Amino acid sequence: MSIRSQLLKGILEGCILAVVDRQTVYGYELSLKLQDYGLSVSEGSIYPILLRLQKEKLIRGEMQKSPTGPNRKYYYLTDEGAEALEEFKVNWEGLKSPVDRLLHKEE
Amino acid sequence: MNAEELIQMNNEKRKQLSKENKEYYEEMLVYVRLSYDKSDQETEEILAELLDHLLEAQAEGKTAEDVFGREPKKYTDEIIGELPKMVTKKRMQYFIMGVLYFLAAIAFYSGIATLFSHYVLGIEPLTKTYYTGTLALKTLINIPVAFVILYAALQYIRWSCFKKINKVVEFFLSALLGIVAIGLFMLVIFVVPDFGPSVQIPFYVTLLLGVVLYLVGRRVRKAI
Repeated sequence: MSIRSQLLKGILEGCILAVVDRQTVYGYELSLKLQDYGLSVSEGSIYPILLRLQKEKLIRGEMQKSPTGPNRKYYYLTDEGAEALEEFKVNWEGLKSPVDRLLHKEE
Repeated sequence: MNAEELIQMNNEKRKQLSKENKEYYEEMLVYVRLSYDKSDQETEEILAELLDHLLEAQAEGKTAEDVFGREPKKYTDEIIGELPKMVTKKRMQYFIMGVLYFLAAIAFYSGIATLFSHYVLGIEPLTKTYYTGTLALKTLINIPVAFVILYAALQYIRWSCFKKINKVVEFFLSALLGIVAIGLFMLVIFVVPDFGPSVQIPFYVTLLLGVVLYLVGRRVRKAI
């Protein structure tokens, strides 16, 4: 796997945790939310990540009736997930400003 | 929802897919289900999710390629890589079930064969002489042979997923696999000599044994 996709995967994981933290979502809803924020990832790419986050117990999926009727798997943030999200926020803040400064050549 | 219910729901929902989306999705479905060492519950859950997603996307005028990308095999491999393994207890149950079904098939068909050769060909008595040593050894050799063949068949189907294989080539490859399989079993039959104490078993006992083994195997399957 290339460095670029590794980096993106990690960031995408953090973003998915952030969305699930705000509200419970099911897969399709989650991909729409990410697009609303301007993250242009292919829709399908969330599913391998959702599987991994479940394996790591950062989120859990529950089958529930949706308002429109059919059963869907809704995702919830676990306590471990909340911790991981906090950690991601710290890491991201530590990365964001230096990278921004570098790119925009701010003194 | 257990795996079986999810499979049934999947079969129903798939009918709503457009022709090209269905083709794309079903390739993925077969390929994911062929990863036999993964938890079947999780496998069916993710397949249901992917299908639901595709149906919603289709309603918005998107295609499977828009959703899952242009490299279905690569994408599906990624999904399979994240699926948790099946627990050992379940694996053992599947193994026992497989062995029971296999032995049931052997017993039942040798009963049928005895009937056929007696009434149609008029060559064998209805009660056959078996050598216990030979029977035991054949069974012991044949079970691993059957699993190797099954494994080869699975690998072959996995290999053929996402490939546009010429129908003629496909036919010859499957035929080759079949011939090798039958050849292996034949080899075992001819190579193992007669030894051990002999027993007289009438055809209906063999048939009945086949049915009983099948029923026990089914019980095991239901318990999984």
